[in-house]
Amino acid sequence: MQDSTTAEPRVAGRRQFLNDPDDLVAEALEGFELAHPHLVRWNRDPSYVVRAQAPVRPKAALVSGGGSGHEPLHVGFVGTGMLDAAVPGQVFASPTALQVAAATRAVDTGAGVVHVVKNYTGDVLNFRIAAEIAADEGVRVQQVLVDDDLATDPQLTGNPDGPGRRGTAAVVVVEKVCGAAAEAGADVVEVAQLGRRVAGSARTLAVALQASTSPGERRPSFDLGPQEVEYGVGIHGERGVGRRGFATAAELVPQLVHPVVEALGLRRGDAVLAVVNGLGSTSGLELSLVFREVTALLGGAGITTARSLVGSYVTALDMTGCSVTLVKVDDDLVRLWDAPARTAALSW
Amino acid sequence: MVRPVGGRAAGVREEERTGGQDVRVVPTPGRRAVLDAQRARGWWESFDRQVEERWEELTELDRVSGDGDFGRNLRSAVRKARARLVGAAPDDVGAVFAAVSAGFLDTGGSSGPLFGMYFREFAKAAGGLPVVGADVLARASRAGADTVQRLGGASVGDKTAVDAMVPAAEALERAVAGGAEVTAALTAAYRAAAAGAHATTGMRARRGRASYVGDAARGVVDPGALAVAWFYERGATAA
Repeated sequence: MQDSTTAEPRVAGRRQFLNDPDDLVAEALEGFELAHPHLVRWNRDPSYVVRAQAPVRPKAALVSGGGSGHEPLHVGFVGTGMLDAAVPGQVFASPTALQVAAATRAVDTGAGVVHVVKNYTGDVLNFRIAAEIAADEGVRVQQVLVDDDLATDPQLTGNPDGPGRRGTAAVVVVEKVCGAAAEAGADVVEVAQLGRRVAGSARTLAVALQASTSPGERRPSFDLGPQEVEYGVGIHGERGVGRRGFATAAELVPQLVHPVVEALGLRRGDAVLAVVNGLGSTSGLELSLVFREVTALLGGAGITTARSLVGSYVTALDMTGCSVTLVKVDDDLVRLWDAPARTAALSW
Repeated sequence: MVRPVGGRAAGVREEERTGGQDVRVVPTPGRRAVLDAQRARGWWESFDRQVEERWEELTELDRVSGDGDFGRNLRSAVRKARARLVGAAPDDVGAVFAAVSAGFLDTGGSSGPLFGMYFREFAKAAGGLPVVGADVLARASRAGADTVQRLGGASVGDKTAVDAMVPAAEALERAVAGGAEVTAALTAAYRAAAAGAHATTGMRARRGRASYVGDAARGVVDPGALAVAWFYERGATAA
């Protein structure tokens, strides 16, 4: 058999900055801590990231986490006004229950802890187990499940017994709003209820122009023809719900926006927070153009874009593509969104 | 070494294949009325050796019914448990299982944490006790089966480890009611767990990884259930 590496063209596939792929997550976390010493501290074993300075007053603590490969999620959102701790797993793999329990214990001030969990079987199970272990030790834990991905909605997939909608970019909004409420003194139950309300009023759709490449691999996880896009992708490099034709942004963006508007039942006069999120390898220039299309579509439907977030915040390694998230908001949510945050990835 | 896998009772040893009717277990060395911390450790170390020797059988089973990572994940958890056992308190049966539980809870996937919660019930039931009787093991086994069912959402008949855990708990409870000492109770638990594991052969998975492949998993034993049978078999012979 011919050696596949020599059979390929010289520049086939993506090259990556790597040492040993098995060390990627730990080495990246070490670098992240070195880059933000005033903001975060990385606990090596069990692995979790906490704020460099614990809050001065007891407050409901916010912990999130999940597989790595989605940076800056979640470690980039550790800091004042957002998370107290982030628990990274290996690439696209849930953190262990032991890691989550340790992080939960580390940030509890006695006021309890809210777990923000994206809806994936492994994440949900390990956070739930960690919550039980922490509860046995006297920590009050509430869970907020984020499941905004419309592409995996049981009503669309026709699989009511499946795991349900995946959690994607709406998790940033949940973390920002809940973080602000916790900072303002809301208790764990209030923070969790708020988080569930935000998650319930958020839906996302994504499209990929090119698949991602796993660490140490040269080939993307799936191939797309030059006239194809992958519609309804998640954030783990997997295939979406179907192939659609490549087209101009003006033709592609409505395919993301219209189903989300419909699913949320948005009407003329409603206000939304719109997130245009890059999946890893899409330029900021393109994301701004996409956002222009989104606001034009919303404006045409009489929907106000009250606030926005445009950039790469919830990525799928180096996937090329973007997601559009809409969150129905009221004045209270906008106020919490506007509250100060100081994290590596979001600050105002 | 990978043993040949195929046919109805793939990967199941002879005594397990009998469905627990005629189990040729030779309890050695001697029958014990109670379990002390040293023997609890010996029980676990015996299970550890079995996993190291035969984990590939579980992986073969899982290749048919799941995604093929069960054996490797179990081995990884067992190795983490081994490292934690080094520092466990010497005169506390619960501390042995607490170390084991932490090793499993520090393992990825779904089966690792669920087994971690199973063994955590043994740690709770035996916590601080230098010696336990069959009654404590029965309570731990029942609580463990309940916890795994609650967290994993599987019931008996779903082709998961629960199909061995529940019969094992029932057998321990019956043994305790009949006044059995530890070795006899664990032997009964092993027979019931092996029979339960064997029964998964004809089941169609509704939970766990195997549910994704539907009928393709029929005809093979669920590897999680088999691992539970191994656990009690080692208890019956080594504890």
